[in-house]
Amino acid sequence: MSQTMPTAKQRRLRSLLFWAVPALLLLLPFATNPYTQFIANGMLISALVTLGFTLVIGNLGQLAFANTAFFGIGAYGSAILAAKLGLPWLLTIPLAGALGALGGFLASAAALRGIRSYYLAIITLAFGELMRWGYLHAKPLTGGTDGMPMPPETLFGTSFSSDTLKFYVFLAVTVLLVKATLNLMRSRFGRAVMAVRENEVATASLAIPTSRVILVTFMWSGFVVGCAGALFSRHVGYVFPESFGMLHLIASFAMVLVGGLGSVLGAVLGAVLLTALPEYLRAFPGMEELFFGLIVAAVLVLMPMGLASLLRRLSPIFVERFYREAP
Amino acid sequence: MKIFTTMLATAALVASPLLADDAEWETWGLTDDAITIGVMGPFSGNASSYSKALVGMMAYYDKVNDAGGVHGRKLVAVQEDTACDSAKGLAAAKKLISQDEVFMLQGNSCSGVALALRPTIVEAGLPWIVAHAVSDSISDPMAHNIFHGVPTGSANGRAMAAFVLSKPDTENVAIIEHSNDWAHSYSNPARDYLKEHGVSPSQELTMERGQTDATAQILKLRQNKPDFIIAALYEAETAIFLRDLKKYGMGDIPVMGTAGTDLENTLKRTGDFDTVKNYYVIHSYVDNLDGTLMKPWADMIHKYAPDEELSTFSFVSIGSAEALVAALEAVGPDLTRSKLIAALEQVHDFDTGILSDPITWTATDHQGVKSSAVAGFVDGEPTVLKAWGQPY
Amino acid sequence: MLMQLTLGGLSQGMIYALIALSLTVVYRSTTVVNFGHGDFVMAGAFVSYVLVVLAGVAFLPAAALSMIAMFVLGVLFNRGLVRPIQGGPHIGLALMCIAAGYVLRGIARMVWGREVLPMPAVFDMQPIFIGNLVITGDAVFIIGTVLVLLVLFFGLMAMTDLGKMVQAVYQSPRGARLIGLNVDRFNDFSWGIGAALGALGGILVAPVSLLHPDLGASFLIKGFAAMTLGGFGSLGGAVLGGVLLGIAEQYAGAYLDSALIEITAYLVIVAVLFIRPQGLFGRKAVVKV
Repeated sequence: MSQTMPTAKQRRLRSLLFWAVPALLLLLPFATNPYTQFIANGMLISALVTLGFTLVIGNLGQLAFANTAFFGIGAYGSAILAAKLGLPWLLTIPLAGALGALGGFLASAAALRGIRSYYLAIITLAFGELMRWGYLHAKPLTGGTDGMPMPPETLFGTSFSSDTLKFYVFLAVTVLLVKATLNLMRSRFGRAVMAVRENEVATASLAIPTSRVILVTFMWSGFVVGCAGALFSRHVGYVFPESFGMLHLIASFAMVLVGGLGSVLGAVLGAVLLTALPEYLRAFPGMEELFFGLIVAAVLVLMPMGLASLLRRLSPIFVERFYREAP
Repeated sequence: MKIFTTMLATAALVASPLLADDAEWETWGLTDDAITIGVMGPFSGNASSYSKALVGMMAYYDKVNDAGGVHGRKLVAVQEDTACDSAKGLAAAKKLISQDEVFMLQGNSCSGVALALRPTIVEAGLPWIVAHAVSDSISDPMAHNIFHGVPTGSANGRAMAAFVLSKPDTENVAIIEHSNDWAHSYSNPARDYLKEHGVSPSQELTMERGQTDATAQILKLRQNKPDFIIAALYEAETAIFLRDLKKYGMGDIPVMGTAGTDLENTLKRTGDFDTVKNYYVIHSYVDNLDGTLMKPWADMIHKYAPDEELSTFSFVSIGSAEALVAALEAVGPDLTRSKLIAALEQVHDFDTGILSDPITWTATDHQGVKSSAVAGFVDGEPTVLKAWGQPY
Repeated sequence: MLMQLTLGGLSQGMIYALIALSLTVVYRSTTVVNFGHGDFVMAGAFVSYVLVVLAGVAFLPAAALSMIAMFVLGVLFNRGLVRPIQGGPHIGLALMCIAAGYVLRGIARMVWGREVLPMPAVFDMQPIFIGNLVITGDAVFIIGTVLVLLVLFFGLMAMTDLGKMVQAVYQSPRGARLIGLNVDRFNDFSWGIGAALGALGGILVAPVSLLHPDLGASFLIKGFAAMTLGGFGSLGGAVLGGVLLGIAEQYAGAYLDSALIEITAYLVIVAVLFIRPQGLFGRKAVVKV
């Protein structure tokens, strides 16, 4: 539990870093081909998904697996709004986020009814699978198993089939949401979230409205992941029910853990690493599950608080004030 | 903000297709002794048994290469895994196109992946022969560089329905299927065909993947007593369905299955001839899987992939590979992508010696294989059929 | 029709019961829910396949050997990977189980990924017709085997001190340690039993379905639903929950819509947790703040 807090100078350096990284990333499309750019775009989406997930399971400490449900709701929401109502895709991003937040509201309803721990895990798993069944069977709305194509669209005269254009939009959305999440978690609210995780009863006794804290965290998580879903619908250009199954859930679960539970920086790192890894494993088809299982098991035993904990030890710059490692 | 806009504009310019280098683009992935072909398929994941199709196809490349290649060039397959997942498949296609810089693409088994790939490949413009996925929407509306080398879902589905109706006095037809795109790609065209002939399915049932029991479905069928059942089910569920059908005393009702199953393996799975004796499947080939006309193909696959277990998928992509080689031969040594596309459009009534129906690609229609035969047991022997009671 | 559906549901439900029971055995003594259990089930089926088809062992000894192998695997998994992180958050434990499952699935996929393997039929018996009712060999075999096993299991729990030991460890591992129970070894044992029982589920289902690396995935959620319905942590509840779930699936499929079979388990989970979270026999599941 001995974490040095960053000094004022280090904090300035940190905020410089926070803006320097995306600024440098603006140059990334000059160094990529459409394939590597596509992978980079996928990393941004995974980063948001992981961020939303880690808020609930890491910061709030609730074993809720509704993440993939929010993701699917966002992706289908965006596709339906764009294809059926003709809304411009950019506008569907916040709307998909709102739909995701609605999903978060539903999931929190379970938590607030006192369904916790493994029960919450199981009911949220069921929620995700029921949603997937819904996509399959609500054919007029979702296209059912045939999936749903995104309508072609342009921005500043460039078609959205360009991975570079997508990258700039994804990057802007990601930076915005990461920054907003950091601010939220650094606020009084963020401390309340942490307090609920450590001891809900004690927190409630301090007249902090724990129910509201849980509700808002779930909804913000849903919003972030819902936005990621909207990005995903454009990323692939097509939404299929299969994209929102257990495989996706487990992949983002692993990203959270490898990065470091409850760490925003870790969420981004975990997403980047575990999105890149399968691409390096392309030469060994079928081995992915094996590698994946071994890596996760190794991280859990050797580095239970993930990569973020390593970085934290490296320099106090990486200490996230709102987050303390579990004892 | 201004910087951002400028960068956006520059980047958009960089990302736009490189029209300036037409000549170079035409011969990408081509050397004097090799033609690189991107082969996408589900080499991992829960649909990986489909990748047998690509193993068979690549065995054919090897055979061509052993005979000296095409105009001195070897066919070099660059494999990429799609895991039957749209995002992963898109990454695979982009890698093949922009990083491995292959000359053309052949393959892909999962229709969903193929649909997601379509816009990217149309934009890239290189030739793609769809060698296994069946969804009609992959090649309809027609894209100038996408060629379908297997019977499409509608061809198969209509062939299924046509066979069902070729049995005299068939009026009451029930459909049981998985709720996934694979099953719908067969059942929807079959429904259309039935409707066109004044028959509407009397019952629609679903059986999901992984179910090990079909009691509920069978009991519903028992009340309805259909003349024929169309079953768009995977191999495992087909075996379970047929087994339960017989168990509940309805083994005499004929069942029409998809190209996703075959008689030999279904028999092996159920282990009981009585269970499968009234089972018919779409069979896109000229002979039984273990028939004499198929033997050379089986030997070819085993020559290059000795441990490969054969299934109906193993043979499905070979026909399109033959058509490709024929087109490459026709172009001559001075190969370009445009010339290949033009030559593919000249493939007419091409008898592959393996597919039951010929391949015809024209400038206005890239769905090459228009129908399929059916296989069923006749006197205890698997037999390829044209219609009810009519051998192929 | 009702009878027939009930019978079909019963034989399906027996498998769910076995899987829910094996999950509960581990949960009760270690408070870990094995999220990778589906893959343990699959692994058990594969081991028995290797023995029967490749090594030519007869079915019964192969099943027994496979259960023993999975017992050992369960013990090793607990010692090597679960115990080191036992004190940590539930989340880590859940992911560790998933990771172990992935490793098992990855191995199966590497060896058999592109084949779907038929398991030879074990129990070839002509179905019995009683009026309209058809009783099949598979149903007799599955229901019979599971019943024998359940009698054995609950008999042992009731006749010996085992039941009390389980109860003690469940209620307070520390207290159990104080009265001289070797809790670590007890947990090993529970993991072993859990893995072996799950393996039996796989072995029983393999001749009916087919063998593929994703075999277990659907069973995990059925096991969860059965546990939730019966009451988390209740051994008898798990069994009853499994049977009821199996029957509910059949009824829903026949009387409502066959597309519902797939989601019956999920609907059961949601309904039970919102209406009666403690299930049929469980302890209070909700937390009040």
